[in-house]
Amino acid sequence: MTEEKTILCEFKVLNKYGIHARPAALLVKTAGKFSCDIFIGQKGAEVSAKSIMGLLTIEGHQGTRLSVRIVGLDAEEALAEIAELFENKFFEE
Amino acid sequence: MAITLKELLESGAERLSLELVWGEGRLDRTIEEKALNRPGLALTGFFQYFAQRRLQVLGLAEFTYLKSLSSEEREARLRGILDKNVPAIIISRNRNPLPELQMLAEEYGTPLFRSTMITSHFINECTLVLEELSAPRDRVQGTMLEIMGIGVLLQGKAGIGKSETALSLIGRGYSLVADDVTEVVRTGGRVMAFAHELTRYHMEIRGVGIVHVPSLFGVSAIRRDAMLDMVINLHPYTNDADEERTGLQPTEIEILGIKIPYFALPVSSGRDMANIVEAAALNYKLKLLGHDAAKELDEKLIGNFLRKTVKL
Repeated sequence: MTEEKTILCEFKVLNKYGIHARPAALLVKTAGKFSCDIFIGQKGAEVSAKSIMGLLTIEGHQGTRLSVRIVGLDAEEALAEIAELFENKFFEE
Repeated sequence: MAITLKELLESGAERLSLELVWGEGRLDRTIEEKALNRPGLALTGFFQYFAQRRLQVLGLAEFTYLKSLSSEEREARLRGILDKNVPAIIISRNRNPLPELQMLAEEYGTPLFRSTMITSHFINECTLVLEELSAPRDRVQGTMLEIMGIGVLLQGKAGIGKSETALSLIGRGYSLVADDVTEVVRTGGRVMAFAHELTRYHMEIRGVGIVHVPSLFGVSAIRRDAMLDMVINLHPYTNDADEERTGLQPTEIEILGIKIPYFALPVSSGRDMANIVEAAALNYKLKLLGHDAAKELDEKLIGNFLRKTVKL
């Protein structure tokens, strides 16, 4: 049995339009696949990555650095998939 | 799909005040061209471009003209038309069939109808009846409701709660069109839904049995038919389902070749499906009025983000 892990990291928003509805929905869908808790935030205020309305309030425009905190057994797998979304600009442009 | 005279008589008996004068045994004849013709020119002996595959309607003008002729002449002119093997002859304005016409109809085996309607009204209404009879139709699984003017077809596997959701919605004042089995017909680019005649206004509720909706909830709880505006599919809640989370990418399904907006709603304990179906229908109505909430919020966000990006 693997142990529960906490991962802290940071991602930069690369896509032009930021974390608007479509990227937010992608994040929620990805986060929903894992049992771990995922939080995304800015300046200390964080929201669950499984809440679309929450993600829209973090004001993740282009160039913003967002903190990501993942807590759970499958934290590493979740991190890999979330990193892919940010790196690929949420498959926009 | 060709329409038989029998079908025309069945659906036209009331709407068109149509009655059969002669031709009981010939009602299996088909109407090859779903339109009507007034054979005025043909009665004068001019048969070029005569629409012989259509129903022939004799109105006041044709009748008066025929009356002005001698009996032999009248028979000869009418024979010319019946000789073309027209599907049937319809007399409007409740005129008595002329003896020559009746005789020729029997001789040629051409059914003869009569309507009390005036000719122009008859032609308009009969065209509609023919149109409806030949419209593509199908039967689909699902419970049909009308919510604030929006026709909603609820689909989903047996036991998911379609009828229960419908029952809740009826309780809120919306109307049932059909339970579990819905007949659909295409009319002028849209799909009209209604119940099968036999089961109309009834629904089955597990544990209670079959109920008669207007008896329980009053006549405002039912509607004979409604235009199908959206399809809502109820499915069991799963974690990885590819669900629509923003409402920005509407999906559609095709019914009778017409694209209908489609929404998949996950069902889980604690989710009041009637409430959600109602919200979906009202949100769709709002969209029709030109307000797309999801799109408007997204545009606001993007505008906001872009302004900030430039500043940095």
